Amino acid sequence: MTEENVAAAELAFGEALAELEAIVKALESGQLGLEDSLERYERGVALLRACQAKLDDAQQRVTMLVGELEDEGDTGE
Amino acid sequence: MTDERRTISVSDAMAMAKVALERVQVRVVGEVSECTVKPGYKAVYFTLRDEGAAMPCLMWRDAYASCGAELRAGQLVEVGGTFTAYPPKGRMQFLVRSLALAGEGALRMQVAALARQLEREGLMRPDRKRPLPPFPQRIGLVTSPRGKAVHDVIRTLRRRYPYAELCIAGVRVEGDAAPAAIVSGLETLYRHGGIDVIILGRGGGSYEDLMPFNAEEVARAVVASPVPVVTGIGHEPDTTIADMVSDLRASTPTAAAEAVAPSTEEIEGRLRSQARLLARALRHTIRDGEHRVRALAQRHVLRDVSGVLAVPAQRLDAARADLLRAGPRLIEEAGERMARSQDGMRRAAAHVLPRHGSALALARERLLDEGERFTKSFERQVALEAARLEDLSPLGILSRGYAVCYDETGERIVRDAGSVGPGTRVGVRLARGSLGCLVEEIRTEE
Repeated sequence: MTEENVAAAELAFGEALAELEAIVKALESGQLGLEDSLERYERGVALLRACQAKLDDAQQRVTMLVGELEDEGDTGE
Repeated sequence: MTDERRTISVSDAMAMAKVALERVQVRVVGEVSECTVKPGYKAVYFTLRDEGAAMPCLMWRDAYASCGAELRAGQLVEVGGTFTAYPPKGRMQFLVRSLALAGEGALRMQVAALARQLEREGLMRPDRKRPLPPFPQRIGLVTSPRGKAVHDVIRTLRRRYPYAELCIAGVRVEGDAAPAAIVSGLETLYRHGGIDVIILGRGGGSYEDLMPFNAEEVARAVVASPVPVVTGIGHEPDTTIADMVSDLRASTPTAAAEAVAPSTEEIEGRLRSQARLLARALRHTIRDGEHRVRALAQRHVLRDVSGVLAVPAQRLDAARADLLRAGPRLIEEAGERMARSQDGMRRAAAHVLPRHGSALALARERLLDEGERFTKSFERQVALEAARLEDLSPLGILSRGYAVCYDETGERIVRDAGSVGPGTRVGVRLARGSLGCLVEEIRTEE
């Protein structure tokens, strides 16, 4: 529940998805009151949006820590 | 030697050949083929070949056991022994007395010895293998910056999982300097921090090409990794020591990249299913609440939300007011009656019992007290009834967050989204106040 203070967009994809899955599980348990259900539902929707946004604007980032990347087509190694 | 014109039996001829062959003692290097090592057999049979010739060999069991090698087709071996003949089949054979793996074969033996040692240390135990993070944010890669492997990994991750940053330590993976370079590449990644999983890879090559991945220092660096290491070294059948001690062995660099990253399709499928479950769970919660409200609303006292509530409450109010009014009046009447009797009595007894006047005043006081007690207890009763009604009231339910939707006339409760159309006005009763709403969109549940 402490995670709820973190904006959904600031979570790593895996964290957001894990929280979303926990929310779904809690909602499915049917143990929550209506207000709580609505609150979590809204949080769940925010997490879904954040995950989708992350998927939509993902661009591969490649960082060379050691060595220099050479073009493909080189034989050998 | 023998007289060529003399005729001898086949057995004698083969015996002569055997003696002659057994004088030839040599060391031979060749590739093993057609190797038969069977538990019940007294000897191991195999053929040594080169491009131009084949040589059938046999080696007695105990000699084979003591040489320490495990024969497999394709191995290059060096054997020492003599030729011999097997008269019953008329076959020439080489009787192997000593056997050693040559070239790559020798390397394989070294590697096998190191593998056994590391295994004894427990470095290959299955419980040492860590699970891979499901959604890595930063993936490390140690491989050559040249050639196919690095591009295979980049391409695979771009296709499947472009969400992670790929941090590459491009190092030499061939030659004598390679083990140290690989270790330093791994250590660079460990130090870099924030890396969730590491791929150690290289493309296919000969057994000797893969030797750096059989180096003990590389194995120990993999074991020391703070995050899971996935190896993708060479092609399918090649297994190096680095593979054996890693957390997951993939057959190629591409397979290693696939192993560390879930595919976009998989992820999106998972998101979609979560979205579906989320909506369904909330619908379920709401429907459940609805049922409970409906069940309550069906109770006799609550049939009509406004009327049923109002009538008993008003009736109670009226009764209460009546009582409040009636109480004092009763007392008053009693007082008047008493006053009248008092008067009468006073008149009658003014001269007979003048001293009884004080007793009458006392009785009057008592009656006034009585009346007050009566109204007080009724007030308590009313309060109790009101509280009970409050418990049953839909207003109580509304205060828990439910709302009741009425149609335009305000008389009928809207229970089905399909029963109103866009543009219809509806009223929504909340815990405090109500809303006049215009329907914009109808969503009927599937």
